[in-house]
Amino acid sequence: MISYRLFGSAIGLCLLAAASTAPVFGEATQQGKECFESRDGRSQVVQREIAPGTPNVKCSPTTSGVLWWGDPFDGTIPMGDMAVEADYTHEEAVVKPREPQIDKNKLLTICAVACHNGEYVPVPENKNPRPLKMHKDIVPDSMELKHGKGAIWCLDCHHPDNRTKLVDNFNNEVSFNQPQNLCGKCHGQVLRRWREGIHGKRIGMWNKGGKKRWWVCTECHNPHDIQQGDRTSGFAQLHPEPAPNLPKTMANADHERVKHGPGH
Amino acid sequence: MSKEDNKENGAQSVSRRDFLRKAGTYSAASLSGAAMLLSNPKPAQATTNVEWAEHFQKNYRLMTEEEKQEALDRLEKRYSEEFGKEVTVDGSPAMDGVLFGYALNIQKCIGCRRCAKACVAENNQSRGDEQQIEWIRVLRLEKGQFSADDRDNAGYPGDYGIQVGGNAYKPAGVVLEGQHYYEAEQVPEKDAFYMPMQCMQCEKPPCVKVCPVQTTYRDPDGIVVIDYNWCIGCRMCIGACPYWARRFNWGEPSLPAEEMNPVTHYLGNRPRMKGVAEKCTFCVQRTRKGRWTACVEVCPVGARKLGNLLDPESDVRKVLETKKVFRLRADLNTYPKFFYFMD
Repeated sequence: MISYRLFGSAIGLCLLAAASTAPVFGEATQQGKECFESRDGRSQVVQREIAPGTPNVKCSPTTSGVLWWGDPFDGTIPMGDMAVEADYTHEEAVVKPREPQIDKNKLLTICAVACHNGEYVPVPENKNPRPLKMHKDIVPDSMELKHGKGAIWCLDCHHPDNRTKLVDNFNNEVSFNQPQNLCGKCHGQVLRRWREGIHGKRIGMWNKGGKKRWWVCTECHNPHDIQQGDRTSGFAQLHPEPAPNLPKTMANADHERVKHGPGH
Repeated sequence: MSKEDNKENGAQSVSRRDFLRKAGTYSAASLSGAAMLLSNPKPAQATTNVEWAEHFQKNYRLMTEEEKQEALDRLEKRYSEEFGKEVTVDGSPAMDGVLFGYALNIQKCIGCRRCAKACVAENNQSRGDEQQIEWIRVLRLEKGQFSADDRDNAGYPGDYGIQVGGNAYKPAGVVLEGQHYYEAEQVPEKDAFYMPMQCMQCEKPPCVKVCPVQTTYRDPDGIVVIDYNWCIGCRMCIGACPYWARRFNWGEPSLPAEEMNPVTHYLGNRPRMKGVAEKCTFCVQRTRKGRWTACVEVCPVGARKLGNLLDPESDVRKVLETKKVFRLRADLNTYPKFFYFMD
């Protein structure tokens, strides 16, 4: 079968290609199997049992995407107050912290002490773009950052001398767990829709005042390659789940691809 | 009073149901005989241990609370034995002041089909090569083009052009019909958009109208449900549904015990038997407990929204107020509570 998830990280930790072997649907509880919630490689979750017979997630055997949450609030933290007033405070809003996900190889911690401690890589004097020597796995060509159409660069979002944090327009530190406080500075309308619950995703209870896990911006969107390729949305392309079975009398689905031109 | 009289009075006070139950319990011969007659000749999962009483129960809607509870207990016991785990069968009625509505952002959907697979995992549909049932189908549609040329009357005599974006000889707009079985390497594709379809939970459901045994009906929260035990498998509802939202169990459902979701509802995701119709119930086992449906939770782009149409603060109402919304086949006056919207 296809092995499409081969990727390495900066410090050389290669994750195994998750080659799906048996296309049997829903091998429900495979302890220790890694699958992804929204974006392959950036929102991973490891399967385990949270209660006897109940896995934390069920994964698709063909694409390794999460299909089912045993406990939607597993591993979440309170979202905290939002910078802009919103009527969400009456709800029990929680988020899954992004820092452990981003920092899973202790990358951020290493960044902050090894290179970006103010000694090895001096803090640049201005924010003008220049070719990067490092981090090409994240941003292949920094002169053509696929976000902001040339208007922004690394330090508009990343804190200049504390790489474990993001930074907003007023030089306030922003946690990786709360990227909406940064993204909303430019994408205000989207932030508003997100607050109302009609942009983005929440899981948990639908009713007013019910506990909800809110999904923050970077769980679904990759901020470094928003504009890329043939994509039709701000969402990375991914492998779809398999098509339903053809009816038994049907050999193929060619009839669907026939163009109904003139005379139809 | 003599001993004889007492005995007779006692016998008369036994209700018909009690008599039937006892007859079923005590007489092994009658039980096995009934099972032979009533169940499938090929014994399989959902029909192996069916009790006598299950065959003779009333339409769920007409049961008293006590009878409902008996039916639920009976099923819990049977499913727990069959699937080797503790299965709960819930009978929660509709919540007061709730009318479920659904909104789907057709512009966001990337066609990944995760909703369809999540639905199968949650709702215990039959899976595998022999007998596969999915309640959600995702249609791939080709992006069309509207140009000034298409809008004119070319091909028509005089000024009789009535079609926007093309005419009888020159299709425009959507130039292909939908594809169910698309197998893209990567989605979303450049020239396509996707349209997931499932039960629209109509206000005036044609399927309910045509059901000859009234086993399918609309609950007060707007969810169209089926009492599978009362379904005779005539498939009238399938023919009546203009949205292709109902499925039929042609064969014995194949539901591996380890994949079975043990949290079930009588009218929702409890294991079905051969020869009954089934459909999306907005995950009645979840939504009546306050949880979102499986498809809402799993959608990786957040295109799916579910909420209470009676609550002006709900996300569905906000969508209806602020977005461009349409419903499928509004001309049929089925009044779907499933809305498609665009940003």
